[in-house]
Amino acid sequence: MKDTPLCNCERDFLLKAIEEKKRLDGRQTYDYRKIKITFGTDYGCCFVDLGKTRVMAQVSCELVAPKDNRPNEGIMFFNVELSPMASPAFEQGRQSELSVKLNRQLERCLRNSKCIDTESLCVVSGEKVWQIRVDVHMLNHDGNLMDAVSIAAITALCHFRRPDVGIQGDEVTVYSPEERDPIPLSIYHMPISVSFSFFQEGTYLLVDPCEREERVMDGLLMIAMNKHREICSIQSSGGIMLLKEQVMRCSKIASVKVSEITELINKALENDKKARKAGGRCGFAESMPQERITALKKDKTAVEMTDVSERANEIVQKAEALPQTVPSPVVPVPGVGQVGQGPQNTWGLDEEEDEEDSDEEQEEQVTKMEEEHSENKEESRGGEVVEISDSEEEEVVILHPEKPDRTPKNTGSTSHQKVAASSKKRTKK
Amino acid sequence: MAGLELLSDQGYRLDGRKASELRKVQARMGVFAQADGSAYLEQGNTKALAVVYGPHEIRGSRSRALHDRAVINCQYSMATFSTAERKRRPHGDRKSTEMSLHLKQTFEAAVMTQLYPRSQIDIYVKILQSDGGNYSVCVNAATLAVIDAGIPMRDYVCACTVGFVDETPLADLCYAEESGGVSSLALALLPRGGQIALLQMDARLHQDHLETLIEAAMTACKGVSKVLDEVVRQHLQEVSVLTGE
Amino acid sequence: MAADMRLPTIRKPVSLSVSTSDRKDLVVPGDVITSDTGFMRGHGTYVDEDKLTASVAGEVQRVDKLICVRPLKTRFNGEVGDVVVGRITEVQQKRWKVETNSRLDSVLLLSSVNLPGGELRRRSAEDELTMREYLQEGDLISAEVQSVFSDGALSLHTRSLKYGKLGQGVLVQLSPSLIKRQKTHFHNLPCGASIILGNNGFVWLYPTPEQQEEEAGGFYTSLEPVSLSDREVISRLRNCLLALAAHKVLLYDTSVLYCYESSLQHQVKDILKPEVMEEIVMLTQQKLLEQEG
Repeated sequence: MKDTPLCNCERDFLLKAIEEKKRLDGRQTYDYRKIKITFGTDYGCCFVDLGKTRVMAQVSCELVAPKDNRPNEGIMFFNVELSPMASPAFEQGRQSELSVKLNRQLERCLRNSKCIDTESLCVVSGEKVWQIRVDVHMLNHDGNLMDAVSIAAITALCHFRRPDVGIQGDEVTVYSPEERDPIPLSIYHMPISVSFSFFQEGTYLLVDPCEREERVMDGLLMIAMNKHREICSIQSSGGIMLLKEQVMRCSKIASVKVSEITELINKALENDKKARKAGGRCGFAESMPQERITALKKDKTAVEMTDVSERANEIVQKAEALPQTVPSPVVPVPGVGQVGQGPQNTWGLDEEEDEEDSDEEQEEQVTKMEEEHSENKEESRGGEVVEISDSEEEEVVILHPEKPDRTPKNTGSTSHQKVAASSKKRTKK
Repeated sequence: MAGLELLSDQGYRLDGRKASELRKVQARMGVFAQADGSAYLEQGNTKALAVVYGPHEIRGSRSRALHDRAVINCQYSMATFSTAERKRRPHGDRKSTEMSLHLKQTFEAAVMTQLYPRSQIDIYVKILQSDGGNYSVCVNAATLAVIDAGIPMRDYVCACTVGFVDETPLADLCYAEESGGVSSLALALLPRGGQIALLQMDARLHQDHLETLIEAAMTACKGVSKVLDEVVRQHLQEVSVLTGE
Repeated sequence: MAADMRLPTIRKPVSLSVSTSDRKDLVVPGDVITSDTGFMRGHGTYVDEDKLTASVAGEVQRVDKLICVRPLKTRFNGEVGDVVVGRITEVQQKRWKVETNSRLDSVLLLSSVNLPGGELRRRSAEDELTMREYLQEGDLISAEVQSVFSDGALSLHTRSLKYGKLGQGVLVQLSPSLIKRQKTHFHNLPCGASIILGNNGFVWLYPTPEQQEEEAGGFYTSLEPVSLSDREVISRLRNCLLALAAHKVLLYDTSVLYCYESSLQHQVKDILKPEVMEEIVMLTQQKLLEQEG
């Protein structure tokens, strides 16, 4: 399916807004969208959210014969997959221009900059080397794929552990993770791509364009850099004319952005390491109930908390005035609603919830970067409690404030069904 | 990387050039009769042939047509005998698809496509012998072919690759230098306005050096543009003498 | 059979008039023609920061306040009244698409052709269905430019007995800039063949028809065998055209005829040999100069 073209009104509106230094999502010209890095169960699996753009990277390895001209170097292979899942404009199978562009840019960004020590991947010179394969899949397309791809790829590579090998004479043994701890790759530096889009013949410049902005832009400049301020690759695309001064300005902006992103990646990696050490549950299975996988997941919204207890009290009072004739819906699991006082299914639910609650505290692999780091974390988290949206009926709100003082207890929970579960417990009483 | 000394203490390069010296450029326009425009260009030992067809009616699916400008279709290929090792697939792999894309981009910036709505311009480039700087040579050859076809352009597009060794920028890299692990930068320039139509860089380079490198590349491109200008003027002279009554 | 082989040599321009080069204004893309804002922007130029700049390589032409740059070689830019020779590429509803070496395919509307039955014949839905019987894909036609659409595509018509479907003959495709504009582009050459010099660079050579047009309204094509002598004349003319084109000599009835005459001492197949070509073209140019006086 071809992309539906943007209507002229919308195009004009977008361009006008850019002229007035405004962006659709309220960002400033040089702001990035929120970046979120999450890891999967396995080593080397990583999800990156860049606003609504979502990509997944998976690193895998294999023992192969090396290339003839490089007998003692491992092989790096990159593949960016644009599945129609991410956007109806992506076609299955055929190599589109975009996919060639992304693939080559990623290759140039990570292979040509020699950020990975390929010689350390050699097992037996000229016979067996490790082939590291990085597959990046698009899950949702909302602009600036390249940056998301590069962050996902390098983070996944940093996260990846390859199995240890032992050599006895001619025999090569690959040890399973149980026998010997897997080994991380040696990475010299982390190139991260930063995209700049140009509008109106290069008069206006935006960092991290979203999909709408990408549609009206004249051209794109991608600069890949590492935190040592070394440029690893530059690529301009689209039919634009650049001036030298613009390129220089972009490279300066890029160096700032790259150091921010690098820090974020490092923090995410550290958090994941801690979580794994603590033995917490992590990965794909864990991400399902937290709705981390789907693009429909809800972001936390900051809610004013100053007068929450008074308001809650108010609501409680009002609620007591109401006759409790209408049975309240009970939501034991998201998606399953139950109305009335019918027999409760208590199978295992109780213990499990308690366990999860305690796990929750260590579960801090989800790192967020917001432009305003000062923003009070507690506040945004507390807001969670108010955001109970699984039920359509307003009465649900009434359920919890029975004991308004209990609200802070729920601060650790990151998803609604926690609240739902606790509410269920309360109704049981 | 270590084995070769790319820049001697006296300031000479592997092939005896100075740091900012270009290779010899020779070119000829109008080498094919059946095409709308064609050109042959040699830059040192890199040789390229460019052919332009169009603007003409869109071939293939009509849905590709743009209502406000012409579509530029580029195809880059390398002759099987162009490199030391024979390749089985001279075109269609990722690298050449990317190269075609870059050529397309470069010429979309320079050709005044808005004058030819709903048509298509084909640019085919073939590398006959490859000795470094393939992209630049292709761009230079294609520029001549486009001019030969009488398609309006804002200016010449000239391209050049530049490397960076021992704090010195080297202009117009040859294959030995390119493969010697130098960080290289390819730049396509519209010389009169100093506008960059395409910028591409590989390998690591500290941010502080970027400016000097771009500066060197622009100077090199301007050098190339002088040569191309001469070729075009001479060709113009020759042909107009013939047609003049 | 003896094969003729030769090594590549440097092209030698054949020219009798060298001095002409000085009086021409030649520009290349990006050259500033004038920074005077009083002039009007014509084809082949654009305005960049108030400066009139050339966008093609060619010769500057000034008509009053209008400045154009005419490229040496280009696709056909049709004007109303131009005679063209073209090939049908597509049959559509109520129209044919015609390839005329222009930047978009030209259009020949069903309403702008003469159908058998005279001027006043109504075009019914049945005619639409039988369009392919009159002209089908691959047929060659001669036509005149009726109008130019806003996107540059040409609309053609064949509403005269001299236009219509072409029968037996030879098509030579040359650069449109080599065709000299003249009052008539249809010539019956005294050497026994006829020529249509299409403004679009397509030249049609055909045996001179016995009697002038008949009923068919331009859709009848004779498939009578053409005599050997006629075929020889046509082949000679074709090679002469190619020789003239190779040396960039403007084509019109006189130049073609002179070239034909100069080539008579050579065999048809030899005309395209470089040295013969050179000699013939030289002779032609001399004759043309003499005639001009």
